[in-house]
Amino acid sequence: MSTPLVFDPTTLPSDDNVNAYTFCVELKGSQWFLQKGKMIAYYGRIDFNGIGHGRLDRLLRTSFHSPLHASDWVVAEGSGKMLLADRAFDVNSFDLDDGNLTIRAGNLLAYQPTLALKQSIVPGFLTLIGTGKFVAASNGPVVFMEPPVRVDPQALVGWADCPSPCHHYDHGYMTGVMGGVRALTGIGGASGEEHQFEFVGAGTVLLQSSEVLMPEQATGVVGSEPGVPSGHAPAGGPGQHGSAPRLPGQLGDLQRRFGL
Amino acid sequence: MATFRLQGSKVLAVEMTGDAVRAKNGSMVAYDGQMAFKKMSGGGEGIRGMVTRRLTGEQMTMMEVKGQGTCYFADRASEINLVQLHGDKLYVESSNLLCTDGGLRTGTTFTGLRGGASGNGLFTTTVEGTGQAAITSDGTAVVLRVTPQYPLSVDPGAYIAHQGNLRQDFQSGVTFRTFLGEGGGEAFQIRFEGDGLVYVQPSERNTVGGDV
Repeated sequence: MSTPLVFDPTTLPSDDNVNAYTFCVELKGSQWFLQKGKMIAYYGRIDFNGIGHGRLDRLLRTSFHSPLHASDWVVAEGSGKMLLADRAFDVNSFDLDDGNLTIRAGNLLAYQPTLALKQSIVPGFLTLIGTGKFVAASNGPVVFMEPPVRVDPQALVGWADCPSPCHHYDHGYMTGVMGGVRALTGIGGASGEEHQFEFVGAGTVLLQSSEVLMPEQATGVVGSEPGVPSGHAPAGGPGQHGSAPRLPGQLGDLQRRFGL
Repeated sequence: MATFRLQGSKVLAVEMTGDAVRAKNGSMVAYDGQMAFKKMSGGGEGIRGMVTRRLTGEQMTMMEVKGQGTCYFADRASEINLVQLHGDKLYVESSNLLCTDGGLRTGTTFTGLRGGASGNGLFTTTVEGTGQAAITSDGTAVVLRVTPQYPLSVDPGAYIAHQGNLRQDFQSGVTFRTFLGEGGGEAFQIRFEGDGLVYVQPSERNTVGGDV
């Protein structure tokens, strides 16, 4: 029998993983932003305050620019060590050094206030800018890829240093009546991989090693304004199945393709 | 006494030489040797235990496995943690208890408000005696030591078990902000004080106070 590792506040790591699924944050009078309900245990004195807390006004002005889903975030403040975890998904911390990274809203667990969180123009994604540490969850370990690369929408976790993200449809899919029939009915078989995200340009693309999506965190509706891509919120965004899952190639897509 | 060991992290192998263990009903995945499986009504706690479990809602269906050889147990590919008991008491949610040594006594105990918030009822299962027990967790569990100078707060949804001489308090951070939808997200916590170990899983069950 292997005796299990027993942790106490002196043996818990500081700002590092306890195991693949649990991350330990050390607070020394400092603050961390975290998504609601991801704290599983803590030692010491830590307060959790909703973003709307008056005293946090100054902090929010510098590092939280995403008013549309403010209710999903809390600020942990105090001293002690706290453990973060998310539905037994793998968690990893990443360091940004004066950089930027865009991540699926549901995957981001926590970040240091030295980073600024902003809503991405791409619906359903958030962008972190600055220097600091953040914690992200993924189903299976994260894989790093260099663009140019095409990735499955469900496997995409995020991307750093801003390569250009765009949709890619397999060409044969769109040509001819037979292609349309095949896509629409599945007769002749569809591989399920006709639609990908394509990344070109300098940077890094982060993938998870499964196609299980994090349950979506609503990023809120962007005010409709000319020129602002709308998010079809709350569950909108590329590759995310909302209340009515829509397969690529259903009528909606075809109509759009034919310009109807 | 049966010896427990882990085969990987998700399968429990128990070697038996004519003795018995109690395991969650239907959790056997394989065995070699000679084994007999007998369903135990009321978790093998007799008529009184059976009635208590019925009344408290802390139900578990256990089976007695007896024989010679190796028996393998697993439950929904969840991680398994071994706990060695030396005459002390383990408190565990009945849904997380996989297997106990035949020499251990199980029972139910009142946990107070804490159980109500964790969505597992007001009662919890106790395992007492000397021997080994196996508990399951969703993801690798973290074992945290509580000492008088280091009390611990745990999210009710992530709590699975504790052992030792611990006092638990139900902590509520509900303020007027919670009702405005501006709560801290961690409105309910269990605070452990004293001396002992707490097992926490890296995942949260759905709790009544889950998203408050």
